[in-house]
Parts: sequence; C-alpha cells; structure tokens
Amino acid sequence: MSDFAVLGLFDSADALLAAIPKVKASKLGRLEAYTPYPVHGLDEALELRRSPLGGMVLGMGILGALTALAFQYWISAIDYPIVTGGKAPWSWEAFVPIMFEVMVAFATFTAGLGMLFLLNKLPFFGHPVLGTKAMRGITRDRFALAIEADPGLDAEAARTALLAAGAGEIEVLPAPPGGPFLTSDFVLRTLGGIFVACTVAGIGMYWAIKLVPQVIPVSHMLDQPRLNAQQGSAFFKDGQAMRMPVPGTVARGYLPVAAATQEAAAALVNPLPTTPEVLALGKRAFTNRCAVCHGPLANGQGSLGAAYGGKPANLQAPQFLAYPDGKLYWTIVNGKNAMPSQAADLSTDERWAVVHYVRALQRAQNAKDEDLP
Amino acid sequence: MKAETSTLDAGLPEVLREVPLTTGPVSPGSLDDQILSVTETKPPRKWFVAIAFTSLLAAFGFGFIGYTVYTGIGVWGNNSPVFWAFDIINFVFWVGIGHAGTLISAILFLFRMRWRNAIARFAEAMTIFAVMCAGIFPLIHVGRPWLAFWLFPYPNQRALWPNFRSPLLWDVFAVSTYFSVSAMFWYLGLLPDLASMRDRATNKWKKLAYSIVSLGWHGAARHWQHYEKAYLLLAGLATGLVLSVHSVVSFDFATSVVPGWHMTIFPPYFVAGAIFAGFSMVVIVLVVVRESMDLKNLITDRHLEVMNKVILGMSCLMGYSYAMEGFTAWYSQNAYLHHTFLNIIGGTYGWAGWLTISCNILAPQLLWLRKCRTSYFWMILVACSVTVGMWFERFVIIVISLHQDYLPSAWRIYKPTLVDFAILLGSFGLFFTLVLLFARVLPVIATTEVKAILPGAQPTHGGHHE
Repeated sequence: MSDFAVLGLFDSADALLAAIPKVKASKLGRLEAYTPYPVHGLDEALELRRSPLGGMVLGMGILGALTALAFQYWISAIDYPIVTGGKAPWSWEAFVPIMFEVMVAFATFTAGLGMLFLLNKLPFFGHPVLGTKAMRGITRDRFALAIEADPGLDAEAARTALLAAGAGEIEVLPAPPGGPFLTSDFVLRTLGGIFVACTVAGIGMYWAIKLVPQVIPVSHMLDQPRLNAQQGSAFFKDGQAMRMPVPGTVARGYLPVAAATQEAAAALVNPLPTTPEVLALGKRAFTNRCAVCHGPLANGQGSLGAAYGGKPANLQAPQFLAYPDGKLYWTIVNGKNAMPSQAADLSTDERWAVVHYVRALQRAQNAKDEDLP
Repeated sequence: MKAETSTLDAGLPEVLREVPLTTGPVSPGSLDDQILSVTETKPPRKWFVAIAFTSLLAAFGFGFIGYTVYTGIGVWGNNSPVFWAFDIINFVFWVGIGHAGTLISAILFLFRMRWRNAIARFAEAMTIFAVMCAGIFPLIHVGRPWLAFWLFPYPNQRALWPNFRSPLLWDVFAVSTYFSVSAMFWYLGLLPDLASMRDRATNKWKKLAYSIVSLGWHGAARHWQHYEKAYLLLAGLATGLVLSVHSVVSFDFATSVVPGWHMTIFPPYFVAGAIFAGFSMVVIVLVVVRESMDLKNLITDRHLEVMNKVILGMSCLMGYSYAMEGFTAWYSQNAYLHHTFLNIIGGTYGWAGWLTISCNILAPQLLWLRKCRTSYFWMILVACSVTVGMWFERFVIIVISLHQDYLPSAWRIYKPTLVDFAILLGSFGLFFTLVLLFARVLPVIATTEVKAILPGAQPTHGGHHE
C-alpha cells in the first residue's frame, strides 16, 4: 500500500507560513495545512480558491424570501381568502416579517449545513490525518503541513523537503484502506434498515393516532356535560332528557288549515300565483306523492291501484273539474276514504302548488280549441 | 475569529497599545488544559448542591405546569380583560434574556470586538437556554399544548390555514427561526472545540461520542476557509435576526389598538430592553462562573467592566424610551393614552411602574463610577435590580395596559395566583439547571476562538497579506 501523505509539524503559525513557499518549490504534491485555529494568510499561501459560500447563501436567502412570499400569497389570497382586519387579500406588507424570518432560516442552514456537508464533506471519520499521532497536537497547539499525493508520493523526498523547511517532527500517513462502496451486503443492510424504520414508524403512528385522543387530559374535551336525545335524566320529573314542545307550538311551514270540515274549506283561496316555478314545484310534489295512485295524468290509473285493488279518485271526472281549490287542499291535508294525510310530507306551499298542478292537468286533458295559442 | 494583527503596536507609546485580552501567561496548550480538563474531572460538591437546588425548583415548576395542563389555564389569575399576564410577561422576559447572547456572539463579532471571544460561548448557551424557557410559556398558554402544531401552516384535513396577517403567527416564525439559528451558530462554534476534546479523551466511549459530534473535524486549511466564511455569514444573519425577533415580539403589542401598546417606538424600545436584561443576566452568571471555575485570567476584570458599560448605555436608552412613552401620551392629546400613562405612575399598579423606573433607570446610574463597574457587590446589585426591573417592565406594559382600556365597565384588577409564581420560579430553575449542566459538559470558553487572539497566535511576517 502506498503512502498517502507526509506530515511535518511546526510550533508556530509563523514557522508554518514561512515553510510553505519552500515546500511548494519542491513540487512533490498537493499541500494542505492542519491548524488548531484559522491562521491568517494561510489561504493565500496555499493558493486556495475563494469560498463559494457567500454566493450560495445569497441565492438560498433570496429563494427563501420568495418562497415565503409565494406561500403566504397563495394561502391568503387564493386558497383561503379570508378578510382579516379589513386587509385586502394581497396585503404584502403583512407578509414581510415572515419573509424575513424564512430568508434568514434558509440562508443560515445553507451557510451551516452547506459548509459542513457540501464544501467540507463532513461528517467523514476516515480521513487519514485523524488516525495520526500528530492529531492531538493539531487540535491543541501544533501546526502541520502535509504533502499529499495519491498515488505516487515520494515519501523520502517529501521528508527531506519538510525537514529543510524547518519541520520539527515528521510523520508518514499510510493511505486509507479502500474498497468498493456499494457491495451487495451494504445495499441489503441499508434496504433492511429502511424497511425496519418504516415499519416501526408506521406502527408507532398507528397507535399514537389511536391512543392519544383517549389519554387524559386530551380526552377531557370528550367529557361534555350535556343530555343527548332519547337519554334518561334524573333532572326532569318524567325522567326523560327530551322535552315536549309547549302546547300550541306550530312547526315552521306547517300552519294548520283554517277550516274545520271539507265544506268549510271550499272558501279557501289558493295563495300561490300560477308561475312556471310554482307549477314545477307542484309537478315534483305530485309525481313524488300522488301519481303512484292517481296516475301521472290524475285520471285514477296509477300503478299501485291494480296492486291493492283500491279505486283512487279520477280527478278528471266531471265532479272534480268543478271542485273548489280549498276542498282539494283539505283532502291533501286530511286524506279521504282510503287516502292518507299528506300533511307531514308536503309543506303548505307544496300542497297549494299540487292544487295548481292538478288544475293544469285537468285543463290539459279537456282542452278546447280556444286553449291553443 | 479572525483577529486583526497588532503589528502597528510596536511603534506606539505604552498608553496607546492594545490591552491584552487575557492576563497572566496563557498559551494555546495551557488554555486547553484549563478549559477542556473541566469536563474530564468529577464535579465538586458545591456543583451537586447547586444543581440539586435548581433541578428541584424546575421540577416544582413543571409540576405546576402539569397541574395547569390537566386542569386548564383557569388556575392562573388571567381573566377578562387581562387575558395576557404572567405567561406572556415571562415569555417576553426570557426571549429578551436570550438576546444578549446573540448580540455578544454576532454583533460584537462583526464589529471585531475581540474581547467577546472569551464570553461568546457562554452567552450563546444562555441564549439557547433562555429561548427554551421562553418557548414554554406560549405553549402552555394555548391551553392544549398537544395541539400547538396547529400554529404551523401545513396542509390539513380541516382545510384551514393560519392567518399570516397576525403578529402572533409572525412570532411563531421569529422565535422558532431564532432558536434554530442560535443552535446552529452555537454548534458551529463548538465544532473545533469538540474535536479538541475528542483528541484529549482517553475513555473509549467518550472518544466515540466526541468523534461523532465533532463530525471528523481535523482542522484542514481548506475546511477552516469555508468555516470562517460560514461563521461570518452566520454572524451577519444572526445580527439581522436578533433585531427582528424582539421587534416581532413587540408587534404582538404594537399592532393592536390597546392604549399603551399601540406605539411606533415599541420595536427599538423592546430590542434595547432585551439587550439590557440579557447583559445583566450574563454579568450575574459570568461572575459566578469565573469565581467558581477559576477563569479570572480569561474572563478578566476588563470584560466585566465593558459589560457594565453596555448595561449603563442601555439603561440610558431605556430612560429615553420611558420618557418618550410619557411624551407620546401627553402629545397625543388622547384621553385613553393619558389614562394609561397615569396608571403607570399612579394607578393600582403604580408601585410596579415606579419599581420599573427605579430598577432600570436609577440603579444602573451607579455604573458611571469606575468603582461600581469593577466591584462585584455593586455590579451584582445592579444586575439583579435590572433583572427584576425588566420583568416588572413587561408586567407594566401588559397588565396595566390591559386592565383598564376603553370601557370602564370592562375594567378589572388582575391578581396572579400561586400557580403563576410557581411556574415563573420553575422557569428560573430550568434555566440555571441547563447552565450548570452546560458548565460541566461542554467547554465554557471557546478555546479555538481565544487561541486565535492570543499574543503571537497570528503570523506577523511571511504571509502575502502585508
């Protein structure tokens, strides 16, 4: 195995800096210095390129600010446009503080993690210098200059050059043992690890979502002092949680008919006008509730009539053509003979609309020439 | 970290030469032996006594936090119209304490104040611990802390988004960014020191642990180059951030219409107050640390004197802000504002107003005297009085403004409960427990940064930068 580098140790930053031009002249390999703290002028002496971190941070900072702006705009003006404080959806002034914070967060993580992971390629625990005897001095108070060339380092020449430049001690670094990175064993282990991690996380989430709502005090929100319908209660004398409405209570849209008998109802007048909307409402109600017995043409030929043998009224019969609106209405509300009341299923408006619709059917079945337009 | 070389000093008369930043013989090696060895020895008995006391205090506080979460925040004194009280006071107080750390580590770094290298590490750690303490309070104030993630904008089943026009949401972003940036800044500074500790460690497990956290740092010149750039950039970013964070905290108040809150002076006034309170806390802790850990050669008398000068300057700024508050109230010709200001100096809580003024404005004037700036007794007295005063300043701003605003029918006197005080004490316990742990586990002084500014650390010739 060839050697990776030869390391010379110096006692001061001055000595290190003075040695660099001399060693550089020998042209034996790449020069690298290892120091306990940043030493002034080392970048220039080693002819390092300027760090590109500034540009990266600037770019990511701008990206962060724009991301925050776009995100806030999309949420506040497009996806969830709620007016708060009388501000317009596009009130960009209010978005500035978060833009700033997100910009700083993007820039900071670029500076910190970009420096560590991208530029310095850390974490890396296999660098040859980490295993040397000199390392203890390097992080303490010694300054090391290394000639690195892999492969083909002339270790003897490097040692001579470093000693000539004033190095106190010399250490030769063996090359790190290399091997293929992607072995099948490694891939299998990685995939297995990912599988185990996903399984553990999945099972954990399942139980977390299931159990957390039942844990005190989270479950306190479920504990509400109230009575449910159909429940018993010791609070009321009758032992029931539900209360009966006050006598005389009338449900909305279900005013009782102001007539005691069908004869008295003859005086009622249909309050609805004959408009296409009212007729449409009447048609819908008639189709749903009446047509099954009375037939779609109100002639008593409904599909159910044959099945149970009843005789629903033929509303096209002459006596019904002259029937007052109020009596039809009364029948819808109270039922007649075998016909049950429809009051629970049709509101007041729907009942009167049905009356209009029956009148329209009667006229259609007994049309005269004058009815043609 | 880059120190200006003092090549010019040679030709200068004695009085004009730079004062050394350390006293006595200090070399890079002796520095490591002094600072890093602390973590390698068993802590003394007094440390155990101290941490037992502070962790008991913290446990006491957390017990009452548990009680609050279990029962509901009705156990506090908060009630209409004083919906914000101890919880928000403590939040603003602790965030403010944190600001000194960032000021020392970032702003003084940008100004090339090299003396800050010795105290930066400690101050940054205090920032992180203070922000942790601060974060507790809004969290428990929401009542159901397990749902606090609702504050963050994430796509959810409820199809709801938070309100980006609310300063409370700005606060969520500001404080969480502040915490993560401070942690990043702190960790980057710590990295070379962790590498030193790795190379010193003799115990196998310690070596493994330090190896992992130091990420394989080996001090290569190519790494230092990027590292220094990153540190400089972070300092610049943290400077803007620290000014923004307490400004955003002040927006919680300033953007409302409550008399006494709705003022344009609030952002700079809050930032100055934060630095003021933070420096006082740093002075208190530094005095204890340099005495108990024998660091007088690194944290010199001069450090404390400069810190005290900053406190004095900030005190004068605070005096100006208080006067400006009164002037604004008078000049506004607004009856509600007049009433609020008169409440500060003469209402039910008038004593709190005067306590604030005497602790924050009058007591620090002692620091004009050199004797007080260099005497432990006086500087601790002033620092403690500022800490108390700044807590009461937030009490004055929050409680006095809220308890009597526009409608007299809605006025009410606020009384804190014992639970309020217990949680406040608990937050102090948590803070000092973390500080004590930090002092034994990690290097309290950034050895790498101090090495770089020792005499002779930087080359005086031979480079290409002359």
